Amino acid sequence: MFTILSFKVDMVIVPATTGQMGILPGHTASISELKPGVLSIHDGNDVKKYFVSSGFAFIHSNSVADIMAAEAVPIEQVDPASVQKQFTEFTQKLSSASTDLEKAEAQIRVDVLVALNSALSG
Amino acid sequence: MAMASLRREGRRFATPLISPQPINPLRSSISPAEDQAFLGVRSISTQIVRNRMRSVRNIQKITKAMKMVAASKLRAIQTRAENSRGLWQPFTALLGDTPSVDVKKNVIVTISSDKGLCGGINSTSVKISRALHKLNSGPDKESKYVVLGEKAKAQLLRDSKKDIELCLTELQKNPLNYTQVSVIADDVLKNVEYDALRIVFNKFQSVVSFLPTTATVLSPEVVEREAESGGKLGELDSYEIEGGETKSEVLQNLTEFQFSCVMFNAVLENACSEQGARMSAMDSSSRNAGDMLDRLTLTYNRTRQASITTELIEIISGASALEG
Repeated sequence: MFTILSFKVDMVIVPATTGQMGILPGHTASISELKPGVLSIHDGNDVKKYFVSSGFAFIHSNSVADIMAAEAVPIEQVDPASVQKQFTEFTQKLSSASTDLEKAEAQIRVDVLVALNSALSG
Repeated sequence: MAMASLRREGRRFATPLISPQPINPLRSSISPAEDQAFLGVRSISTQIVRNRMRSVRNIQKITKAMKMVAASKLRAIQTRAENSRGLWQPFTALLGDTPSVDVKKNVIVTISSDKGLCGGINSTSVKISRALHKLNSGPDKESKYVVLGEKAKAQLLRDSKKDIELCLTELQKNPLNYTQVSVIADDVLKNVEYDALRIVFNKFQSVVSFLPTTATVLSPEVVEREAESGGKLGELDSYEIEGGETKSEVLQNLTEFQFSCVMFNAVLENACSEQGARMSAMDSSSRNAGDMLDRLTLTYNRTRQASITTELIEIISGASALEG
């Protein structure tokens, strides 16, 4: 649920709400909100991928980036079958949702599952 | 010869006295009746002392067991608390922790334990909350309480009943996790108006030392105000804000996330401090019980030896009176 990983890497790609953002050393200072998606850490030829639920990324001007996510799961631990099942279940719920709140909740679920799906495939 | 036989008589008299000296507490319930039948008033003091010893020994066992339980719980939760410190460090690096900020609406979130027997940590938290409340009440400032945990609730209800906005108890029924804390944070953010949230908890430094700390989380408007006025938050403007439509929206999400992260860490640290404080309280309690037991044993032996001596004196003086 929380692990502190801190290492020196070449590049990090974060799923910001405005799209995938690549962070290299020397990036301008920035605060970006993250949406559910894949976080990939590139160190030389090594790529580690994590699925993050959402959170924030702070990029400081001294080339330190802090990525804070409510949940982060290594992509290997994501189970494709259950993702598919939940996807169908919640798209159904979305179409049958009555109140705004239910619609919003179902929409969030569907968005996360779409991101998970694309993370698993791509 | 007569003396020898009488001495034997005396010993036979004395053995019922000596044998039911039980280290086994179960037998002591039967023997006092026998003792009383033989020796009358003299044995009541040994019986009383023996009862006291039994209860003190039981208490020592219980407190020792409680200490072990607290130690194991502490081990389990300590790594989690230390790991969770990294959750709020980036926020503090960015937004700073400004306890001296001057705002109109303060909300003091006091974190305490539900169970007692944990030393003085809950009283210190309440003392600090009260001090903060006093510091932040003035002509146009006000402060309210949000209380987590039974112990602080009991203490604060006594004199600040009207200032308590929200009370939450039984946090540790299920193991602490982020989801639970984020629900609580959501509750607080929705129902309580605030300019600054001050979270009072006991930071866990080591098994014997707990530091009462205050963590300050500002509302988005105050963050903007402070950023404009310069100081630590002045650098905030140098950061490009990405995502969301407006800066204030992102700031709002940011401060809410910060609040839940800081709460999570605070709750974990307080739980650690609670277990540590309980360990040391139970440890000193078992040591006290041990000391008490030593003193009682001495009293008991003295009383026992005195009654044996008195018995022997009676027998021997009776025998010598018979002789001549």
